[in-house]
Amino acid sequence: MALMPKRVKHRKEFRRARDRKATKGNYVAFGDFGLQALEGAWLSARSIEAGRIAATHYLKRDGKMFIRVFPDKPVSKKPLETRMGKGKADVDYWAARVKPGTILYELAGVSETRAREAMARVANKMPVRCRFVQRRITV
Amino acid sequence: MSHETPVLSARKRERLGSRYARRVRDAGNLPAVVYGHKQDPVSISMDAKETLGHIYKGVKLFSLDIEGEEQIVLLKDLQYDYLGTNIMHMDFARVDLTERVNVRVPLHLIGDAEGLKTSGALLISGIAEIELECLVTNLPEFIEVDISGLDVGDPMTAGKVQLPLDTMVLLTDPETLVANIVIQAAEETDEEAQVAGAEGSEPEVLTQKKDEADSE
Repeated sequence: MALMPKRVKHRKEFRRARDRKATKGNYVAFGDFGLQALEGAWLSARSIEAGRIAATHYLKRDGKMFIRVFPDKPVSKKPLETRMGKGKADVDYWAARVKPGTILYELAGVSETRAREAMARVANKMPVRCRFVQRRITV
Repeated sequence: MSHETPVLSARKRERLGSRYARRVRDAGNLPAVVYGHKQDPVSISMDAKETLGHIYKGVKLFSLDIEGEEQIVLLKDLQYDYLGTNIMHMDFARVDLTERVNVRVPLHLIGDAEGLKTSGALLISGIAEIELECLVTNLPEFIEVDISGLDVGDPMTAGKVQLPLDTMVLLTDPETLVANIVIQAAEETDEEAQVAGAEGSEPEVLTQKKDEADSE
């Protein structure tokens, strides 16, 4: 089932800017391979779960998957055929703020070939363009 | 172990800032800075293709020829762009060849672990690099860690890593996990329990509770 926070400070929040580049969470930190978003989006909890299932089905529970984003942003939506006004609508779904460069998933304990294939299946479930990445050189 | 110190020519940068750094990159060079040994930091630019060729090979020690003045420098930091594709800037520290320095060395896991023959066993790698103190001339490009004897319940920690030389001192916490073998089924149930716990109910709103208490 979809992820959501256990407790929040406020029930609803502003939309906020979504056009910045990722300055954190933009490198493979836990696994050996990762899936990096190349565009910004609000990634719904359902999409995150769909991606996880796609990878798990392909890998047949082999390897370990890390989900690097968490849907902590409440997104509200007015019901259909409702007039404007009357206050902010109820929360429709929970989303993760994804910026260009954000690492969405990481994989460990599988070969590169299988990781690429799994991540390609995950990328199909994502609402943004993604690419396969590996750990980068550090000093 | 790397004994070679590639000689790289560099020029001082007169104009600093992101705008001029961008122009340096557009011209096929890389901006960098050299500091240390209680001397003033110097902003330099170097040929990108040549420098990156060495860095991608794992070379960390360079001999820099800055407009005729030669210095031995150690690569201290790399800055990447937001996608982590391109190196944007480098930091070099001045060193002497007799100096002991702290460096981070990548670990390469080799061998087929014994514990992986168990069904459902999964190799989980911990840290990918360890911090060492060693002589500048003894800098290893990487350290090979033989995990062929690794079994379930017997994790490889930083303290168990065989260092290439006795003079090297491990700075990373010896208990830090390098590689471990876990049985997959136990891992998976934990994850499912977490997800199941999150489903269904609405999240608790902290400020809403406060408002209600105030109204009472």
